[in-house]
Amino acid sequence: MKLVNRILKAREISSLAFLVAMFLIVGAVNPTFLQVKNLFLTFNGSVVYILLAVGIAFVILCGEIDVSIGATLGLSAAVSATLLRDGSSWLAAIIAAIAVGVTIGLINGIGVTVFKVPSIIMTLGVNGVVRGSIYVYTNGKWVENVPFEFKALSQATFMNALTYFLLGTIILTVVVHFILTKTKKGRYFAAVGDNMSGATLIGIPVEGTKIVAYIACGIFAALAGLMYVSRVGFVTPTAGNGYEMKAIAACVLGGISLAGGVGTVIGAAIGSVIMSSISRVLVFLQFSSDYDNTITGILLILIVVADSLIQRRLAEKARRKRLSARTLEEVGGGSNE
Amino acid sequence: MEIKLENISKEYKNVKALDNINLAINSPAMIGFVGPNGAGKSTLMKIIMGIYQQDAGTIYLNGEKVNMSKPSVALAHGIYLVPQEPMLFPNMSVEENIAIGFSDKKKELHTRIVEIMDQLGWNIRLDRKANTLSIAEQQLVEIVRGLLRNANILILDEPTSSLTFNEIKSLFQLIEDLKKKGICIFYITHRLTEVFEIATHVAIMRDGMITLKGSVINFTKEDLIKGLLPPEAKMKNTEKTEDNIEYSKLKPAFETKGFSGYGFRDINIEVYPGEILGVAGVVGAGRTEFATTVFGMDEVKSGQVFLGGEDITGLSTRQVLDKGLNYVPEDRHLNGIFKIGEVGVNISSAFLRNSSKFFLNTKAEKQLADKYIKDFRIKVTGQDQIMGSLSGGNQQKAVIARVLSTSPKVVILDEPTRGIDAGARCDVYAIINQLKKQGVAVLLISSDFEEIVELSDRVVTMYQGRINYRFNKKQITLDNLTAASFGVYEEDAYEIGE
Repeated sequence: MKLVNRILKAREISSLAFLVAMFLIVGAVNPTFLQVKNLFLTFNGSVVYILLAVGIAFVILCGEIDVSIGATLGLSAAVSATLLRDGSSWLAAIIAAIAVGVTIGLINGIGVTVFKVPSIIMTLGVNGVVRGSIYVYTNGKWVENVPFEFKALSQATFMNALTYFLLGTIILTVVVHFILTKTKKGRYFAAVGDNMSGATLIGIPVEGTKIVAYIACGIFAALAGLMYVSRVGFVTPTAGNGYEMKAIAACVLGGISLAGGVGTVIGAAIGSVIMSSISRVLVFLQFSSDYDNTITGILLILIVVADSLIQRRLAEKARRKRLSARTLEEVGGGSNE
Repeated sequence: MEIKLENISKEYKNVKALDNINLAINSPAMIGFVGPNGAGKSTLMKIIMGIYQQDAGTIYLNGEKVNMSKPSVALAHGIYLVPQEPMLFPNMSVEENIAIGFSDKKKELHTRIVEIMDQLGWNIRLDRKANTLSIAEQQLVEIVRGLLRNANILILDEPTSSLTFNEIKSLFQLIEDLKKKGICIFYITHRLTEVFEIATHVAIMRDGMITLKGSVINFTKEDLIKGLLPPEAKMKNTEKTEDNIEYSKLKPAFETKGFSGYGFRDINIEVYPGEILGVAGVVGAGRTEFATTVFGMDEVKSGQVFLGGEDITGLSTRQVLDKGLNYVPEDRHLNGIFKIGEVGVNISSAFLRNSSKFFLNTKAEKQLADKYIKDFRIKVTGQDQIMGSLSGGNQQKAVIARVLSTSPKVVILDEPTRGIDAGARCDVYAIINQLKKQGVAVLLISSDFEEIVELSDRVVTMYQGRINYRFNKKQITLDNLTAASFGVYEEDAYEIGE
């Protein structure tokens, strides 16, 4: 009973309900959407977004933001695809991609903490630099001819249902969830976003925690880049463009607060499935999938506005309660006039 | 446990926040730190906790020199600071808040937390989220947090400032228990009475110095009040300008009746044209909340406000302005200025609305700004100088100038000279006196009691959200105001003058 209660209270439940409701409504209009085969296609298609969202969740939990993850995905995809095309080993390609992610994350982290650049500006600038270097690195050309074996990896399925990619991503998400909620250092991320001065006061290394968050975010974007190469099979200079909005929206939809401190990566993963299904949903409802980004943007704004209105209400209520507590109930002194 | 502070000094922008602090305390002890705002109490505690670093001086623990470079160092030495506003993680549970930073087994920690709370006789569900706790409960969680970290020195920064009376009672009980356990407690407060109630030692701070320290039993209330007053204070009190206002002939320009809101209650005051009414008190007494509520920035709970006999209760800021009441806020950086605007624009910005229909009347604006820059001796290179580049005093003069450009009947000035230099202070005083001569009713909110003594015709003191005393011109002395603001005024105890 206690467990049921806890599950019902969780913020992730509302996003899961949103997901189920969306599927049921689309299924009612077009029953083919609910066919098992299609559902698996939808889930398997969301791995890239899940990885991006889980990565950026570290940063958002800390109360910061990273809008460079789309470009990070693009650069690590371009670098690894080039290496694979030129005959390097898979290991070399994977290491190179992750190195790209770590480097970009480290730069973001240092900019935000040491040089105190507002995170939106820092990562926007880095986004420009990284996107630009993709063009320089590829001479503006597509990276094609990725070996077939690497591309086949994304098609391999477990018991003819889930791809190994999705399975691995789910396991990774659960592991990250465990780290963030059950380990001492893992709790630091949410603590920093929840109350930064409070975190400093009890000895949590605030700047170090933020840098680690950005590096984790970069690594996950790099992993997303590798899966992107395998799934798509080629890399254009615009690969991953706009994915950051999808990932941020996925986190917010999954119950992670942009103010920091609240939410789980499980929620972010559920939000990612919703985000990646929107374009498929549109097709099944016989709308143009051109509406995809518009709908994502509207959802993002609606949720954030609703959330901030609620938060402001609560903060104002707390302030008034505090002020009222200060006031004497009875008249304390007399008057000597 | 022994803590010793030796020659601790700290400066901010050439202003001495702490000046050669020396103090040694052996546990078990409970030392009360008392002093007005800006005396350096919190700064000193933050240095002990490693949040700030001292410019000079040394901290010794048990005779050993310790470099408090960051809070984790202080924590490792068993020092724990409970800040004025509790700093819990609002979205975590009570248990998580207490246990964060420990890598021990969850069950073990849980047992230890329950043990500590049992010892304190305190009961709260550990799975409650911190943002559902009252301030008092949050403070208790902070204290348990400190105890789980085996704190030997517990610093409580004004723990009672936002507590109700029953909560204060249980907090004092808790402190007594901690004292018995041999913990050294540093206790910052604005309330002198509390010192006699629970402290073993006391340190009075003023202007970054400890002016008086020792065992509580060696002092009387009068001794402590003397320590709070500047040394030259006595002389100033004797001089009084004698321009008596004949109140019976006047109608109040501004009046409140039973006015209550968030942070203040049942305020009854009246201010007459050409009069300065001083509102004294310590920070948190509810003075600023009173002013902002009058100005239509917060919700009125009950009571009425009259401006020249007209009821203006609950009007919006814009409407209140139109009726002829203006407010110069406490923190001009936050609310008062357009930092990157030009000085001229800043002065004329309040005048904009009466200026014209659509296009700005730049010529009129310029004339207006010129007039005030000259009248108020605002030091600028020209009207086009950027406001943010002015000194604090000149910024403040420009803000007051802007208020005057609306020709108000009533002006509320909130801490008008905080953080500005002596020269500019005199100019601001001159401007305030000029306002008075023009027949404006002035409400002067200030924690600088010398300022209140110098300018006011009458004074009310606020204490914990209420007006606790009223003083007429002859009774306005530093001693009286200080005693009343710290809640220890006794009628007839302090004779007027010398």
